[in-house]
Amino acid sequence: MADTVLVGAVAYNPNVVPVWEGIRDHFRGSEVECDFVLYSNYERQVDDLIAGQIDIAWNTNLAYVRTVRRVGDRARALAMRDTDVGFRSFLVSRAGSGFHTLRDLRGRRLALGSRDSAQAAILPLFFLRRAGLAEEDIAILRFDSDVGKHGDTGRSELDAIRAVLDDQADAAAIGVTTWDAIGREELAPGALEAFWESPPYAHCNFTVLDALDEERGEAWVRRLLEMRYEQNSEVMDLEGVREWVRPQLEGYAPLFAAVEEQGVA
Amino acid sequence: MSASLVLDIAERVSGLPAGGSITIELASAEVADLVAAWCERTANTLVEHDSGSIEVYRGRLADPIEALPVERRPGHRLWIYTNFHCNLACDYCCVRSSPRADPRMLSLDHIRRVAAEAEAAGVRELWITGGEPFIRPDIAEVLDACARRLPTTVLTNGMLLPGPRLAALSEFSRDTLAFQVSLDSPDRELHDRHRGVGSWDRAVAGIRTLRGAGFRVRVAATLGYEDQATEASFHRFLDGLGIPAAERLVRRIAKRGFAEDGVVLTPQSLVPEVTVTADGVYWHPVGADDEDMLVTTLVLPLEEAIALVRERFVATRRRQDALARIFACG
Repeated sequence: MADTVLVGAVAYNPNVVPVWEGIRDHFRGSEVECDFVLYSNYERQVDDLIAGQIDIAWNTNLAYVRTVRRVGDRARALAMRDTDVGFRSFLVSRAGSGFHTLRDLRGRRLALGSRDSAQAAILPLFFLRRAGLAEEDIAILRFDSDVGKHGDTGRSELDAIRAVLDDQADAAAIGVTTWDAIGREELAPGALEAFWESPPYAHCNFTVLDALDEERGEAWVRRLLEMRYEQNSEVMDLEGVREWVRPQLEGYAPLFAAVEEQGVA
Repeated sequence: MSASLVLDIAERVSGLPAGGSITIELASAEVADLVAAWCERTANTLVEHDSGSIEVYRGRLADPIEALPVERRPGHRLWIYTNFHCNLACDYCCVRSSPRADPRMLSLDHIRRVAAEAEAAGVRELWITGGEPFIRPDIAEVLDACARRLPTTVLTNGMLLPGPRLAALSEFSRDTLAFQVSLDSPDRELHDRHRGVGSWDRAVAGIRTLRGAGFRVRVAATLGYEDQATEASFHRFLDGLGIPAAERLVRRIAKRGFAEDGVVLTPQSLVPEVTVTADGVYWHPVGADDEDMLVTTLVLPLEEAIALVRERFVATRRRQDALARIFACG
C-alpha cells in the first residue's frame, strides 16, 4: 500500500471539499498518496501541524509566518500556487476622489478587512507605515467578517468596498483576487479606482515540519507539480491556480516584518 | 448601481458550492451585459432565461450539449410535421392523428423556406413525419424541397405508397431520401389491434415495394407492455425482410396523445429534437400536439428557433444538476 501523507486545509467555503477530493484523486496510485482533513480556522491547523497531527498544512502567508515564528527552521515550505508568488494589495476609492499616494490618506477614513488578513489589513498598514503614516494618522474602519480564515472568504474585503460605496469610508484595502473578482475598474467604470498597488509578496504555501521525511516531502511535491491545468481545470479553477510551483520565500519578508512590528500574535 | 450589483454577485457566488447558482431578476439589458462580463472574467457561468431572469452558476460548467453525441445534439436533426391527419387512427398515436384530425398542413412554400434555412442553421438531417405525409397530394414536391437540401428520411405507415406516389419518387436519389416504415409486430393481429385491420399486410407490402425500388428502409416498432415478448421474434421477422439491424428502431409507447399508458415523457426528461409544425416549434416530435412541448410559435428564422431550444435545454439541464446536488446533500 502506498505511503499516505495527511494534508490539512481550512474550509473557508464549500468548494474546499471538491478541491481536496480532486487533489487527493490526483495523488491516487502515485508514489506518495495523500488524504486531507479540514479545519475551521488556521490557528487550529498550525497547532495540529506543530503537534504532528498532520504532515502538511495548506497555509496562508500569516499561518506560515506564525509557524516559522513558533518553530524556527524546523518549518519549511514545499510548494505554492503560481498566483501566490506575486500577490498584491490594492487601495481603492471612489473614482475621482483625488487620491494619488498613500500619504493622501492622512486624516481620511480607511476600511480594512479582517484583522488577520495579510492582504486587507496587516500588509496595507505595514506599507502605510513605510510611507510615514501611523495608524493614528488615519481613521481606521475594520471589518472583521472572516477572522480565523485570514481573509480567504473575501467577505471582509467586499464589506470594506461596500463601505466606500456607502460613503462610510474614503478608501478600502483589498487583495488582488477581490479586485479581480469585482472586475477592477472595467466592469463598473466610474465607480471605483485603485490609487495604490503594493509591491509583490507571497501568499499561501504548503508548510511542513522536519518531522516529515525529506524524501517523502519531495516525492509529494514532485507529484503535485505534475498536476496539469488541462486535465484538472475544474479543481484548479476553484483553487485559483494554473500551475503549482516551488516556493519563493523572499516574498514573505514584508509579512515577517509586519507581524513583528504590529505585534500580531 | 452597477458597482453594488457586482459586489452583491461576487459575494453571493463566492459562497456557493461549485455548480450552485443564484437567480438575478433582470432590471435591464445593461444588467445582463454586466453580469455576462463579470462571469467571463471570473470563470463563472451565465444562463439567461427568456422569462427575464438570469442564473449565475459557480464555476465553468460543462456544456450539456457538448456532452451529447453529435447526432443527438439539438438542431442536428430537424423534424417537420407536414400534416396531422392520417388514414389510420392508431390507439397510441402521440399526436392524436386520425382521418378526423385537423390537417394543420405546413404549406409547401413554408416547408421550402424551412428547408432552405436548415443547413445554414446547423441542421444535418431532415425527418419528415405527420400524420401520414403520403396523404398529401404534393408529397413529392415536399420531399424534393427537403432532399435537395439535406439527407431526408420520411416516416410513413407504408400503406399509400404503391401507385402514383411512389412513381413520383422514382427519380429521387437513393442517397438522400430514405424511408422509415411503422411496423409493430411480426404478428398481423397484434399490429392490427393498435393500428387498424389490414394495416399490417399493407405496411409489409410497402416495405417490400420500397426496398424493391432501391430505397433505404428503416423499420420502427412501437411496443405496448403486453407486446414486449414479441421483440425477439420481431427481429427474426425483420431479418427475413432484409432490414439490417442498424435500421431497426424498437421503442415503447409514449404516454402522449391517444395513449392511456406508456412511458411518461416531459421536456425535462427528453433531450430535444427540434420539431416544426404548422403551429410552431416543439421540443420533440413525440409531443408535437401538446402545449407543454411548444417552444415558440415563430418557426423562422429557423436559426433563432433552434438557438432557443438549445438555450432552454442547457438551462433545464443545469437547473436539474443544481437540484440533484441539493438533494444529494441530505
